[in-house]
Amino acid sequence: MADFSGSPENRPSEISETSDRSQNSSADFDPCTMRKTKPGLKRLFLTLTVLFSFFLGAPFLLKSIEIYRSPLPFRDIDSLSDSVGSSPLFFPCHFQTIFVGFDNLDAYELGSSIRDEMRKLTEHPVCGACSGSNYTVSVTVESASGCARNYNAESSCMWRCGAIGELDFDFGSGSDDDGVDEFLGSVLGSCEGLRKVYSVVVVNRGGEIRAVVGKYRHGWIVGRVLGERMDELVARVAETFVKVFVNGGKESGSIHGEFMPVGSDGRIILSFNLLNADPTDWIYDWDFRRIDEILFTPVIKALGPVANISVESQVLYHTPKSSISYWDEKLDSYIFSTKDLPFFVNSNEWHLDTSTAAGGRSKILQFVLYIPSAKECPLLLQLPNGEISVTNAFISPMWGGVAVWNPPGCLRDSGSKPPARHTISPQDLQKVFEIFMGQLRQLFGLKSDSLYVGASGTTKLLASEKGFTEWELDVLSRQHACFNLVSCATTLGSLSRLVQSLPRMIIMDEIGKQVKFSLEAAKLTQNNASLGIYDASASPQDKQDR
Amino acid sequence: MGRLFRFKAFLFLICAAAHLFCNSNAYSSSSVSSSSTTMHTNNWAVLVCTSRFWFNYRHMANTLSLYRTVKRLGIPDERIILMLADDMACNPRNKYPAQVFNNENHRLNLYGDNVEVDYRGYEVTVENFLRVLTGRHEAAVPRSKRLLSDEGSHILLYMTGHGGDEFLKFQDNEELQSHDLADAVKQMKEKQRFKELLIMVDTCQAATLFSQLHSPGVLAIGSSKKGENSYSHHLDTDVGVSVVDRFTFYTLAFFEKLNMYDNASLSSLFGSYNPNMLMSTSYFRTDLYQRWLEEVPVTDFFGSVMETIHTVSAYRAFSGKNSDEDRIKLSSDQSVGLEKRRTLVSSNVQDQINDSNTKDQLGVFEYLWYTILNKAEKIEDADILVNYGLAIILPLVAVFTWLSH
Repeated sequence: MADFSGSPENRPSEISETSDRSQNSSADFDPCTMRKTKPGLKRLFLTLTVLFSFFLGAPFLLKSIEIYRSPLPFRDIDSLSDSVGSSPLFFPCHFQTIFVGFDNLDAYELGSSIRDEMRKLTEHPVCGACSGSNYTVSVTVESASGCARNYNAESSCMWRCGAIGELDFDFGSGSDDDGVDEFLGSVLGSCEGLRKVYSVVVVNRGGEIRAVVGKYRHGWIVGRVLGERMDELVARVAETFVKVFVNGGKESGSIHGEFMPVGSDGRIILSFNLLNADPTDWIYDWDFRRIDEILFTPVIKALGPVANISVESQVLYHTPKSSISYWDEKLDSYIFSTKDLPFFVNSNEWHLDTSTAAGGRSKILQFVLYIPSAKECPLLLQLPNGEISVTNAFISPMWGGVAVWNPPGCLRDSGSKPPARHTISPQDLQKVFEIFMGQLRQLFGLKSDSLYVGASGTTKLLASEKGFTEWELDVLSRQHACFNLVSCATTLGSLSRLVQSLPRMIIMDEIGKQVKFSLEAAKLTQNNASLGIYDASASPQDKQDR
Repeated sequence: MGRLFRFKAFLFLICAAAHLFCNSNAYSSSSVSSSSTTMHTNNWAVLVCTSRFWFNYRHMANTLSLYRTVKRLGIPDERIILMLADDMACNPRNKYPAQVFNNENHRLNLYGDNVEVDYRGYEVTVENFLRVLTGRHEAAVPRSKRLLSDEGSHILLYMTGHGGDEFLKFQDNEELQSHDLADAVKQMKEKQRFKELLIMVDTCQAATLFSQLHSPGVLAIGSSKKGENSYSHHLDTDVGVSVVDRFTFYTLAFFEKLNMYDNASLSSLFGSYNPNMLMSTSYFRTDLYQRWLEEVPVTDFFGSVMETIHTVSAYRAFSGKNSDEDRIKLSSDQSVGLEKRRTLVSSNVQDQINDSNTKDQLGVFEYLWYTILNKAEKIEDADILVNYGLAIILPLVAVFTWLSH
């Protein structure tokens, strides 16, 4: 386009000057569309203005086409993964030992020797255990000459000197272990609050050495101990602390995922099923509601910090098992062996997973009470060593448990009468539910029996009406806290890797918020763990999978 | 102009360099966290038939045959996800309604009893398939449609249909590509949704579908290599279509000889495929799998395993609570029932008292409005009210027209 920047007055002079020279080219020179002079600064200025305005608007253009990615705290996630990977979660633990009726014992020396023994036993600490450096062992020696301690008495949690003298019933016989437990609990349990102390009381009285661990957080060892066997005693005390109180009575302290039956939304559904294999023989029913109120409600409340549990029940008919049993003449019953156990559950006919309350991410544990048909009654489980099982029950980790109950007498209503409906008697039902309780403990990784066999001897473990003793609940809380934290860190880590490897993926605000909540929960867990607050740190993170 | 161009090129270079640096930072921190050895606790099976239309009868029969096999060997319905893209049993062209056969001797009806199809018809899409594998569902999806596996699960994934080089055709209008499958498997591994995975694919050029896999613990077998077709076994002249594919036919022939208790190994399964009989070369990929195939029993994937532990003793803590408590409980139950009834009655009375109170407080008109509102809320069948209203309108109109005359 012609550049009309100059005023028309300038034009005629230019044209008149060059009119003679350009006579020839005047015919094809059109002043409206052509120009003779080079474009000057004006054009440059205009071009730059347009370009500049484009650059001004470019950020707005880019903003309008950008993919919305909510900012995720990648550095925090990486540091969380590193800290969880490098330093597993350890809890501070406090132990105390009280020696009663001994003479010539040095509290400091005993304290250090117990610590050494414990250190020997915890060579490979696992996540969720007590931290190797941050545990305290306090020793009190109470003898005729007085009371010696190896620490400064600052809190009321510690042993009150002379308390054992008030105890006038017999420690050593084992007939009243519950009473002794309650007494020790009242003496030791005067500490409320966050500091949990595990205690062992060693009493030099009586005959044979017996060790019992109570329902709270203490245990006792009673027996006549001679001077040269103090080392054994110290080893036994250390073993009680490490193997029983810290590891929960399990052999390996390591956490297996197959003994953490908590769903990722923190809920477990216990589904109790009564299976009548052949209702043409007999039909059994049970009064589930009452037994649930009596037995399971306190258990569910006790497990509150670990998982949110709900209970369902149903009765099924025509549910034969899929494995085969054979008749044994000597035992006068039908026998199935442990080799048949994996094939016992006949999932084609047993429609167990019918819970409508279960969300997509909760875990269901099935507890099955199987009543065999008349063709297989009585049905007994034979163990590999030839013995008959006392419980007739087995579990499958992460699935649940099965118990077989044989109707009394295996009598069959003859003829074509419709089969009579029976209800399982309360006593039998109670026995069955005690077996289920043992199975629930097994599913959580604890033992269903009440003996701990260690290197230095056998310890009796008292059973609690809540299904889990307080020290067992501590073990579960610690291990679940650790497991949850590790899975939280791995999930966040894989999320951050995935997001960073896909730069054009939209990230909604909600995701960013959930990630931040998770990070805060994880940090809170780590803080609480270092302070020793088990219950709060075991509550599971709530991660949304998107 | 030259200056401007050089300036822009310089800017572009800077941006490219920054982008490269960011990406390299992202990739450097990718470390797969190794899980400790977990126990094998359960088996899952995901069986997918991706073809629709009557002439693809054999793909449905393939999938149903495998469904029957894994059920017979012990995997329960609740751990099988069966996806069938079309309904052959009730297809109008099926001469034997509600029956699906995989052999021309019609000895076995695959659709006979207890077939639970989780995804049927148009629900079988690539999106749903990937959602099943990765576990990302809407909140309302029922449990039976989810793959609820955990880190101890062995998963069998069987896919059949029409496929090609690096893809598998779904429903004749979309494709699952090999990198989609590899990404889904990688996500499953990150979320620890399986311990071991066996992928069996029976399509043309099946081996190309798992060429991009790189997650550990995955075993894959395809019915044919790249460039080869997989053929059907035989034509059933009565039904009118081919009823089974060769690869699946020989797989079933292997499994018919087994029962739940057998421990034939995977290497014997893989060795039983004869390229002459299959008319294609079955290719299996074992480089991502740690165990020796001779040591792995087929029931690790095709059967049901339940690790069982005997319960040694019961937990006898409750043997203090006996019949005394029961009696007390019974009486308290009854009293609770009485109390419940009493509270119900009293709440009705409470409502009436509330009504009378409000009558005193409000004026007459407000009280009238209030009662009208309450009555309107209590009406359950609004339709009748509307009908009455409409019926009243007609005489009203008549009255007013007469009045306005």
